[in-house]
Amino acid sequence: MSEETIYQRLENNGVSRRDFLKLCGTLAGAMGLAVPPLEASGLPDHLLTENKTIHKIARALETKARVPVIWLEFQDCAGCSEALTRSQSPTLIDLVLNTISVEYHETLTAAAGHQTEENKQNIMQQYAGQYVLVVEGSIPMALGGAYCTIGGRSAIEILEEAAAGAAAIISTGNCAAFGGLPKADPNPTDAKGVWELITDKPVVNIPGCPAIPEVFTGTLAHFVIFGALPELDDLNRPVTFYGKTIHDRCLRRPFYEAGKFANSFDDEGAKQGWCLYKLGCKGPTTYNACASIKWDAGLSFPVQSGHPCLGCSEPDFWDGGGFYQGQSAPLNRPAATVVGAAVGAGAVVGAAMAANNAAQKKRAVQASEE
Amino acid sequence: MNWTTFLQFTRGPLFQASLLIFVGGMAYRLVRVVLLGWKGDKAPAKGSKLAGVVKTYLKGFLIFPFVPWVKRTFNRNPIIYLAGGLFHLGLFSAIILGTPHMLVWKSLLGFGWPTLPLPIVDWLSAASIAAMIALLFYRRTNPVLKLISGPAEWLNWLLVFLPMVTGYIMTHHLFFQYEVLFSLHMLSVDVLLIWIPLSRISHFMFYFFSRTIHGVEFGKRGVTP
Ligand code: HEM
Ligand code: HEM
Ligand code: SF4
Repeated sequence: MSEETIYQRLENNGVSRRDFLKLCGTLAGAMGLAVPPLEASGLPDHLLTENKTIHKIARALETKARVPVIWLEFQDCAGCSEALTRSQSPTLIDLVLNTISVEYHETLTAAAGHQTEENKQNIMQQYAGQYVLVVEGSIPMALGGAYCTIGGRSAIEILEEAAAGAAAIISTGNCAAFGGLPKADPNPTDAKGVWELITDKPVVNIPGCPAIPEVFTGTLAHFVIFGALPELDDLNRPVTFYGKTIHDRCLRRPFYEAGKFANSFDDEGAKQGWCLYKLGCKGPTTYNACASIKWDAGLSFPVQSGHPCLGCSEPDFWDGGGFYQGQSAPLNRPAATVVGAAVGAGAVVGAAMAANNAAQKKRAVQASEE
Repeated sequence: MNWTTFLQFTRGPLFQASLLIFVGGMAYRLVRVVLLGWKGDKAPAKGSKLAGVVKTYLKGFLIFPFVPWVKRTFNRNPIIYLAGGLFHLGLFSAIILGTPHMLVWKSLLGFGWPTLPLPIVDWLSAASIAAMIALLFYRRTNPVLKLISGPAEWLNWLLVFLPMVTGYIMTHHLFFQYEVLFSLHMLSVDVLLIWIPLSRISHFMFYFFSRTIHGVEFGKRGVTP
């Protein structure tokens, strides 16, 4: 990897100054920063003043080298990588991929075996304290980590080694962030999210199943450009993207308020686009940007296309009640036999107390008669 | 522990435990009352017991409460009559005809029913909360009521009030994040479920008992309630 700046690299790839500034505007948008439209239009340099957002971004790209990224996959399905590489916002994703250099990625790297592992070791030494560590997939802790090993080493060992030299860690997807599917009850591998295991490094969670590509790249861009992580909520998620619920921004919300619900997936309500609450929508408690950024270049998102939100950006969403059961329904119902037993127990205790009282009364009456 | 896991606890294991205590406790109360028995009345019946029961319910439960001027409570204290009625009306519209609550019943009973639009339930809930505050105020100021209200009465009020306000605030997305209020709503509901069998809020069951028994007596004696 050369030490050319990001801007030089773009320039060498034939990106004009004007396009470069436009791209800076795109980046600002991706990070959720407010940019006045005039500024975002790619004004000539000399019209930009020092403290303008885009200028700051341009400065950073002009002076900084690409940030090396090491991407580890543990108990995952590579869905987050898939979503990112097949993302429908090519300019944005390209741009971000231009600002970083992915040095190690099990699915994307062409080479394989000991060669890549060696390369990873070199990168970790060369860029100690500088690289961004991206983790996809949960880490199994049961049986000494035996459920997931790469090259004979356990996931936790690999993670701890890579985390030691990382400037920051990004957990992409619900698995890396909160344990995801592998952690679902009964969690046979004792799967854990990264932030439960690595506590001495900043860890950003970008949960989702998969993570929204634009949210991942926006967060990464923020780190590359400002050299710091964005503001996080109490689950370490960037507030810009996870500050509002799906329900807050849902296009079906007026129907919720009016009490108009789809009762099945093919009834009149479903055809009319009514609210999916009764079909199990978890929108009210799910914090993510699906309803605003959407998927496939803003084409649609699950609730828009008629499927209730599953809550995939929340911890333990697999155990958060049936996907098609209303959100307010209790998580577990006591079995009829258990309810019967409770009623029976209450009745028996009641009868025993009554009998005892009756016996006492009888004794008292007898005593007074004697 | 974050709010999401706390919510899962209050919606899951805690709710389940509360529900079992509730049904077990109510069964206990029911058996105790039934086994108290009541003295046989050897006088010959002057009328039909069933007719007495029907009449009692019609008049005492379905008609008279909605015809204020025949109720002594209304004549003595219209505010208490109205506030008490409004409170129960709002309560039932929310917990039976509100969509989230119907889904609770549905998951427990296996069947659901149509619900009211949110704004209607919401206004009735607001009225219900206001009515509860009025009732509390009256309890705090009326000398007789004050005298007969012990800690249990104040707790009755509080433990019913908490689910009402947390539910209301939650619906309006006020002050806190939704799952925080959802957790508190569930927590207060769980506490209420445990409290009901221990307290006079179990009147929702005994009310029908006393009505029925009075109806039987009235019918037998051929008097109009
Ligand atoms: C069919 C069911 C019910 C009937 C027929 C019923 C009837 C009554 C009656 C006649 C009173 C006394 C008069 C008044 O203050 O208005 C009363 C008071 C009260 N009820 Fe109910 N009730 C029922 C269900 C419930 C339920 C389910 C709750 C709570 C979860 C509840 C909470 C209360 C409270 C807190 C009071 C006392 C109000 C005060 O401070 O004066 N009731 N109810
Ligand atoms: C398992 C039991 C219960 C569950 C799961 C539950 C759930 C909910 C949910 C999800 C909402 C908010 C809906 C929204 O955002 O629009 C709500 C609202 C509400 N709940 Fe409950 N609830 C339960 C029991 C109760 C009980 C026992 C009471 C009363 C004593 C109560 C009183 C209310 C009220 C007053 C509202 C506000 C309704 C409105 O303003 O429209 N809930 N509840
Ligand atoms: S579809 Fe889901 S997110 Fe949208 S309004 Fe209904 S409950 Fe809320």
